[in-house]
Amino acid sequence: MKQIIAIIRDEQIEETKVALETIGVRGVTFLYVNGRGQQKGRVSPREWGGSVNRNLRMQMESPRHCEESPDAGIKMAGSPFQLDTEFALGFLPKRMLFIVASDEEISRIVQAIVNTNQTGRHGDGRIFICPIIGAIRVRTGEQGDKALS
Amino acid sequence: MKMIWAVIRPESAQRVITALDAVGIGGMTRLHVTGHGKEMGITLGAVHYKEIPKEMLMIVVPDNDVAKTVMIIRKEAQTDLKSAPEGGTIGNGKIFVTYVEDTFAIRTAGKPDGT
Repeated sequence: MKQIIAIIRDEQIEETKVALETIGVRGVTFLYVNGRGQQKGRVSPREWGGSVNRNLRMQMESPRHCEESPDAGIKMAGSPFQLDTEFALGFLPKRMLFIVASDEEISRIVQAIVNTNQTGRHGDGRIFICPIIGAIRVRTGEQGDKALS
Repeated sequence: MKMIWAVIRPESAQRVITALDAVGIGGMTRLHVTGHGKEMGITLGAVHYKEIPKEMLMIVVPDNDVAKTVMIIRKEAQTDLKSAPEGGTIGNGKIFVTYVEDTFAIRTAGKPDGT
């Protein structure tokens, strides 16, 4: 039993849901997260203009956006409870997926996520495979692989 | 590869991120979470808050960077209590380290060169 933690583009989430359903993955947990990679959240102008992503556009219109320097966002301060902090420090809105599946299904699921989300541009995301030592279905108390089926 | 989940104070998140940047650990994911520790929340006056806002950072690093990363997070996320400078204040957070068996970069469909 393994856990797939995938971080993908916000705007690809619907396609990914369809792709996962097609290959028979039923149980998925989606999280709204903010993230960045080796580019530290820099976004190319082409992507800024062309994206349909609501959050990105909000970020673009925000005076704090960091187009050139990744450090431009760092002067952001103030209350940590303000909504604005989500866009500080060059973090971009992303979606995180948690999928727990049996060992033999892992490569198929990874392939499906890669095929759906690959654009070839920076920011496509990462997939991490982590070991899981147990699973319990809350409703019935079933354990292990039975809890997944 | 190891995955580090750090639950820290929202107000120390920016300090931690800046410090990690300085040593070249740039890739990370942050989540807004709420929770409480063994103190079961906080009581301010007559009001008891059970869910306290925290910031969770998820960082995946190579095995030999784990100690360094944990040290930096600890150093930056710790707030000192004046009466007990060594102990820090409650609510500074926790760091969890778990295994990562495999990593894929979606852009190249292969192994990333860094984290």
